[in-house]
Amino acid sequence: MVGGLGTLLSPVILFFALGAAAAFARSDLSVPEAVAKGMSLYLMAAIGLKGGVQVSESGFTADMAAAAAAGVALSFLLPLPAFAALRRFGRLDPLNAGAVAAHYGSVSVVTFVAGAEFLAATGLHPAGHMVAVLALMETPAIVVGLLLARRGGEAAAGGARTGGDLLHEALLNGSVVLLMGSFAIGLACGKEGVAPIAPVFDTAFRGVLCLFLLDMGLVAARRLRDARALTPRLAALAVLLPVANGTAGVLVAGLAGLDTASAAALGVLAGSASYIAVPAAMRLALPRADPGLYLAMSLAVTFPFNLAVGIPLRAFLATRLV
Amino acid sequence: MASDVQRRKVEVLVDAPLARRVIAAAEAAGVSGYTLLPTLGGAGRGGRWSDDQVTGAQAKVVFVTVTTDEKAAALTEALAPLLDSHGLLLMTSAVGVVRGAKF
Repeated sequence: MVGGLGTLLSPVILFFALGAAAAFARSDLSVPEAVAKGMSLYLMAAIGLKGGVQVSESGFTADMAAAAAAGVALSFLLPLPAFAALRRFGRLDPLNAGAVAAHYGSVSVVTFVAGAEFLAATGLHPAGHMVAVLALMETPAIVVGLLLARRGGEAAAGGARTGGDLLHEALLNGSVVLLMGSFAIGLACGKEGVAPIAPVFDTAFRGVLCLFLLDMGLVAARRLRDARALTPRLAALAVLLPVANGTAGVLVAGLAGLDTASAAALGVLAGSASYIAVPAAMRLALPRADPGLYLAMSLAVTFPFNLAVGIPLRAFLATRLV
Repeated sequence: MASDVQRRKVEVLVDAPLARRVIAAAEAAGVSGYTLLPTLGGAGRGGRWSDDQVTGAQAKVVFVTVTTDEKAAALTEALAPLLDSHGLLLMTSAVGVVRGAKF
């Protein structure tokens, strides 16, 4: 398989494992929340800039349109089988199944960042426009998850005003604004324009990613430790859904005519589960849904699984199928 | 020495994404002044929670306002339907304030 054992021994994974081990051992190691937030903003700005610069060099291509269409279609469609699996196999009520399905249709920025690092290390360089695809895939799944929850008879509770608030949360949440904003800056400035600030965003990138994943390891393991709602069936789905969705992402990318590296990146996106944009949106739109449930699945099970197994698996599939 | 005037303090522990609902209810009740306080963590019926600025879904803030009995009653009334659905913790207490006209 692509990367093999080297994947598990990369500093990125090892820092994540260190954080998880510290949390399981009940160490008092912690990353201040404001620092963690700052690092996540840094990573989003860096990945957005990088994508924008790449598109400024390659220009707008048919591949870009195809990738965008494939990404949006996946984000709309992936929650549907996820919802069915969560209802039947996971035995969740429609409300929680809809909320969780939205997480698995949407995407995780950090998984994408880690995936891009992994792919680059294995010689696969996804097109810069995949950053824009990432931003486009955040929102449709939120809408579909919400519709599924409501179709199941669970209206927004307590007179919640979901329309405008939800649209605002989905389209203007911080990660989307920063990603698309820095992408636009990279696109407008080009490689030469960005060169003066490149040392900040290029040189420190991997180090900051390691420290951020140290915090993610702590957060994920503590969440897993405290997860009361996570049944064995739901834990199994938190592994099976990313495998199925990631495979679907690679296949759809192949059908859309994307190159191998971009197909792997679309697989990484499709197989990831949001834990930044969607939880806040679901908390707002479906306040009765259990955040302990969807965060435990997406952050405590799916994210580590993707880091260790899911990303290499998608790279392997892309190199074989596309 | 300035004399105390009796007012009502309303405190609401609310998940950060839902704080705007509480603020909207306060404004509808005529409460124009309030403070949002950050929290570090805690535990409740749903288990332990902690400040989490990365996912943001379970970070909590405390909404605090001091107002007249009438406006406090209106705010409490407005928040009543949200107590279960939004998992709010609502506390009211009598407080003495100086410069009562400001509240």
